[in-house]
Order: sequence, then structure tokens, then C-alpha cells
Amino acid sequence: MTEIEQLKHEVELLKKQLDESKRMSRVYLQNVAHQLTAPLGAIKWSIEALKDESIPVHRRGNLLRSVYSQATILVHLIKNFALMSNLEADEQLGQMRNQEDIDPMLLAINLTNDFQPQAAEQGNKKIEVDDFSFKTVLAGRKLKAEKNLIAQALSNLLENAVKYADEDSRIFVRGESGDGFGISVTSIGLPITEVDKKRIFERGERGATAQKRVPAGTGIGLYLASRVMRLHEGTITLDANGKKSQFTLNFPKNRIK
Amino acid sequence: MNQTFRILFVDDEPWLSEALRISMECRGFDCISKTNASAAWQILEKGNVDVVVTDIMMPGGDLFDDVNSEETGFEFIRRIRQRWPRQSIICLSVIADTSKIEALKKKSILYLRKGETPLATAIKLIESKATGKTSFY
Repeated sequence: MTEIEQLKHEVELLKKQLDESKRMSRVYLQNVAHQLTAPLGAIKWSIEALKDESIPVHRRGNLLRSVYSQATILVHLIKNFALMSNLEADEQLGQMRNQEDIDPMLLAINLTNDFQPQAAEQGNKKIEVDDFSFKTVLAGRKLKAEKNLIAQALSNLLENAVKYADEDSRIFVRGESGDGFGISVTSIGLPITEVDKKRIFERGERGATAQKRVPAGTGIGLYLASRVMRLHEGTITLDANGKKSQFTLNFPKNRIK
Repeated sequence: MNQTFRILFVDDEPWLSEALRISMECRGFDCISKTNASAAWQILEKGNVDVVVTDIMMPGGDLFDDVNSEETGFEFIRRIRQRWPRQSIICLSVIADTSKIEALKKKSILYLRKGETPLATAIKLIESKATGKTSFY
């Protein structure tokens, strides 16, 4: 192959890569638009229905709950997109400037309260925080971390658990001991295949079974959670067996004081 | 309404169209919700459904296992048309693919955008499809 032919080949290869990257970002944007439109549409219709005098008071409660949970979904989504764009811009060092001593149990309780209406709405599911496990493992100690980032990582685990858990099931949030300290989210629902387990924390990845059961999704939640944990010198792990899935945010010892 | 009309909602995220369902129920319609195409198909087989209001992107379930979940609704509609050509169908989704929407319209299937079509309009259109009475729309 002459030098010119080789250059031509490389240019063609680059063009293919660029086309693929353009296609991926188009798909991603379409996905983002869909994810934002759906909850906004639900809020709009709920408000329109609330103005309808023929709707009795007890049904209005359902509509208000729906507005609340859709708004929670939107806030959570937008925070994920903001975090994604910050990470893309490689601003992680800037994000780690606001580290503080946080109480992981309180954080878990607050986030659980946020997702509880969504869990009830999506098939009478319930999230339970095992406060005893947090108290036992932490014994009054705090976690040194960037609160907003950890909240976002844990929210992503809770949102997934709510989305993929079986109807009428319980989702548990626990404090875990080990080399350091962990926060786990355990649910019973959609099984995660061996193939999906290997790629589940990659950007844009959604398990084949997950896509089939819930077609809409951004595929960035677990990727972001794993990036957040890396920034905290920690890890995110998955222990899945059949219908049971346990995701854990693991923090190193030196972050517990 | 002396006669009760039955509407079958097919949506894997029923909470996104809950306001519409509640509004129809409060107007005396009997509403059934199913979260995948197969479960909805079983209801249709029993008969007595006046209008099917279906999403596009949703799980297929056993009977539609070979269909891409992003297109389930199109296949669901195609099979309904084949088996029950006179069944009234309304599509309720957020998909933006105009060529696909046009193809639906050609089959005289109404297309409503979830949350975008005003709720009052959606109610009137479903009402008129179910009762057979022409509304002012």
C-alpha cells in the first residue's frame, strides 16, 4: 500500500468514526428529549385534570401525587444531565471542593422519601431504610464526601430499583460493613444476565432485558454512579442472583470518621 | 350515559396517562389498563372493547416477543387491524417520527401526543370514537 493509499484509508476510517459518533449523539439527544417530554406531559395533563370540577376529591389526591413524582423524576434527570456534562468537561476536581461530613443514614432517608411516591405509583412498591444497619456500622461516625454527588449516585440506584423491581415488592437500603463503609440498595425484580453484568456500568448501556421491559431510559445512571464513586476513591459493585439485585456504593476506610 | 363504553389503555408507564384515564372514568367510561401488548391482546380476545388507546414504545410480552420494544405499538395495531378490522384504535404516544405518524393516519388511526394534545381534546376524541357520536372536533 502506498503512503497516499494508507492516508486515504485512515481518512475513511476517521470519517466512519465521526459518522458513528454523530449518530450516537443524535440517538442520545432524541432519548433525552423523550425522557424530558414524558414527565412534563404527565404534569401538564394532571394540572388540566385538576381544574376539572367533575373529578372527585379522592382522585385529585392521585393526580397531585403524580405531579409530585413526575417533578421528582425531572429534577433527578436534569441533575444527571448536568453532572454528565461536568464530567465530560473533566471538571471533577472542581466538583470535589465541597466535601463535607455527611450522615449517610439521613441522606438515605431523605432520598427514600423523595422516591417513595414514585415507588407507590409504579406498582405499589415500597422503599425501606434499614436504620439499624447504618447505626451499627457507623457507630456515630460520619462519611467525608461530596454530598450532592453521593446523593446523585444513590438516587440513580434508587430510581433503577423502583423502575425494575416487581410490583408490590420491597426495596431495601442498608449500611454495609467491610473494608470501609457501603450503602446498598437491594431489590427483587428484573434478573440481570451475565452478559449485562459485565457492561452495566458503561456509558449508554442498558441491559437487553431492561430495554425490553422498560423501553425508555438514558443508560447513564449507573455510569454516573460509578464515576462518582471513582472520584471518592471508592467503587460500585453489583451482586445479582436470579431476581435479586444488590448494588453497593463502597467507600474506603479513610472516608469514615 | 345509559350504555357503558369500555376503553382499553395499553401503556407500560400508565402513570403518564393517569390524568386521561381518571377523566374518562369520571365521565362514566369503564377503563381497563394493561402494561404490555400481550396482556392487552388477551382482553381484546374476550371482546367488548369500544376503543383501544395504545402507546408505541412498550414491552410486547409473550405474544410479541420477537418485536423490537420501540415498535411494539405499530405491530400491535397491525395485528388488531388484521384480526378485528372494525376495532377503533387511538394511538397515544410521545414518538416524533412523522413518517410513522402519517402512516398511522392513513389507516385512519388517530394519533394523540401524550401531554401535548390538550387533555380536553383527547377526552372529546376518545369519547366520540367510543360512543360513535361526532364531537365538535
